[in-house]
Amino acid sequence: MKYRAASLAACVVIFSGCGEKKETTVTETRSLTTKDGAIKLFATSDERFRLIKPSPVKADKPDGWQALPASQFRLLNYRFGETGMGEVWVSLSQGTVLDNANRWLKQFGKPSLDQAGLAKLSSFALAGSTGVRVTAEGDYAGGMGAAEKPGFALAGVIASVKGQIITVKMVGPKAEVEEAQPVLETFMKSVRITE
Amino acid sequence: MEPADKSLAKAPRSLPGKVFDLLSGFGLATITLILLGLLTLFATLEQVEHGLYPTINKYFSTDWKSIIILPDFEFLRINDKLVPIPVPGGYWLCAILLVNLILGGMIRIRKGWQHYGNLISHFGIIFLLVGAGVTFHYSERGNMAINEGESSNVAVDYLEYVVEVAEIKAGKPDKIHVIRGKDIANLEGEKRRKFRFPELPFDLELTAYMNDCVPVSSTERAPDQNQYIADGYFLMEKPKLAKAEPAESYTAGCYARILPHGGAKSAPFILAGASFQPFTYRVGERVFTVDMHKRLWVMPFTVKLDEFTAAFHPGTTMASKFVSKVTRSENGGDAKATIQMNEPMRYEGLTFFQASYGPIGAGPGQKMFSIFEIVKNPADQWPKYSLIIVAIGMAVTFLIKLGSFIVGGSHKKSHV
Repeated sequence: MKYRAASLAACVVIFSGCGEKKETTVTETRSLTTKDGAIKLFATSDERFRLIKPSPVKADKPDGWQALPASQFRLLNYRFGETGMGEVWVSLSQGTVLDNANRWLKQFGKPSLDQAGLAKLSSFALAGSTGVRVTAEGDYAGGMGAAEKPGFALAGVIASVKGQIITVKMVGPKAEVEEAQPVLETFMKSVRITE
Repeated sequence: MEPADKSLAKAPRSLPGKVFDLLSGFGLATITLILLGLLTLFATLEQVEHGLYPTINKYFSTDWKSIIILPDFEFLRINDKLVPIPVPGGYWLCAILLVNLILGGMIRIRKGWQHYGNLISHFGIIFLLVGAGVTFHYSERGNMAINEGESSNVAVDYLEYVVEVAEIKAGKPDKIHVIRGKDIANLEGEKRRKFRFPELPFDLELTAYMNDCVPVSSTERAPDQNQYIADGYFLMEKPKLAKAEPAESYTAGCYARILPHGGAKSAPFILAGASFQPFTYRVGERVFTVDMHKRLWVMPFTVKLDEFTAAFHPGTTMASKFVSKVTRSENGGDAKATIQMNEPMRYEGLTFFQASYGPIGAGPGQKMFSIFEIVKNPADQWPKYSLIIVAIGMAVTFLIKLGSFIVGGSHKKSHV
């Protein structure tokens, strides 16, 4: 009987947990390693969070568009329009032209295309290749948790260039997107891949 | 696992006696094993949709809240609604099985030479479960990538993000203080913790930890969940993809504040695994950096990759053999070793496995790199030992039974 009580008590002790601490004293240290490279002191947030390297894509910024810092998914990044809600960006993307077209259409709640539907889209020369124009309008749900934006429109081109998918995408309030079409066409003609 | 003395079963039992009977009973062992089988099935189905690491975390969490879990996979959804099937968490089931085996398979079991085999086998299984616990709590895993002709003395943990604080002297970190992942990974939402550095002129407060997020510029996107904007950036949780990303590609992040000794708190700033430079803080003439990245695990020796060779099955990209010839340097002495598939290098409690290589599709003469998986597991060989113990136990049981059968048979014959 003694053993049984002792074994039960031991089990309770072994499997009991601890509470959360509000404060901790840090005692662990490590030495320098071969992986500790050069660091930039007093780096700005842009330097800390963006990989600053030359963009593999170049284009001529239209007058009136505001250039924004590039990001992981936006190699060239602009704002346009009076409301400041219009965005244009150039990306190198994954998948196929059809995958990307359907992803864009889905963001506007439009049905997906099949290959035959894709072939019916108008074409546009982009970065030495021929891409397809994708347009849509309605409520824009850009994903990543962003709220839907009603009354928006999409105009862009998706092309396959040397095995990479390049996209130029304009999204903004419908009236501003329609008004910006001539400027967008001029901009898309200037897009080139530099590497 | 029958009672040693059957007369005891008939006597009225005290409460501790009843608890003991329950915990040591064969019924509990059967139920636990059936539930473990079900959990294995559920986890296998769930990891297809949710990824291996999140599923293991869910099914084997040590959190008290995970004593009961709800499996979530396609077959359990009707009209997109999950049919709730509460099951006990795997970690706790294994703990119950361990208790059951100790109490029932070692203490309560009939004793005597006829049962030595069972005792040995039960001990082997207990050893296996304890080994699994030691591996779960105390093993470390990381990877080391080395270019041909180069050396490394550090592995990178696959999953653990740490925060490091260092004073910069002569352009490089002097002493690097490390806040381990276990102390920050539970600081989700409003939870915060103060980290004291006795040798530094400030402490650090961390909060709002996310295990997979990226810093996003507020000029590109407005915060979607009212996140704090620190110097034009906020931390946004990465969207869940249809096919779950491997946990190794998660990038953690949190918000931090400097708490100077005797001064006011600094403004919050972001620490992120997806960052290229550390945050810098100045106190008088002293300069410090604060950074978050995967834990750097310093090796007690340096490994140089002398040569890497790969061979493939004809007409495929499936490796038939890849071999790394390395030099291990320690205390001024060098030793040569070869690491290849199924032939790891074991040294000073560390095991170096040949894990991968690159660049994939490298042409002739192109310099290659080799990637080693490094494991430090105090229970590394315990599963092997436990299997040997179980095998010995079963052999003893078999031999005793065989002996009894032969002796019993001879005895019968002598009476014929």
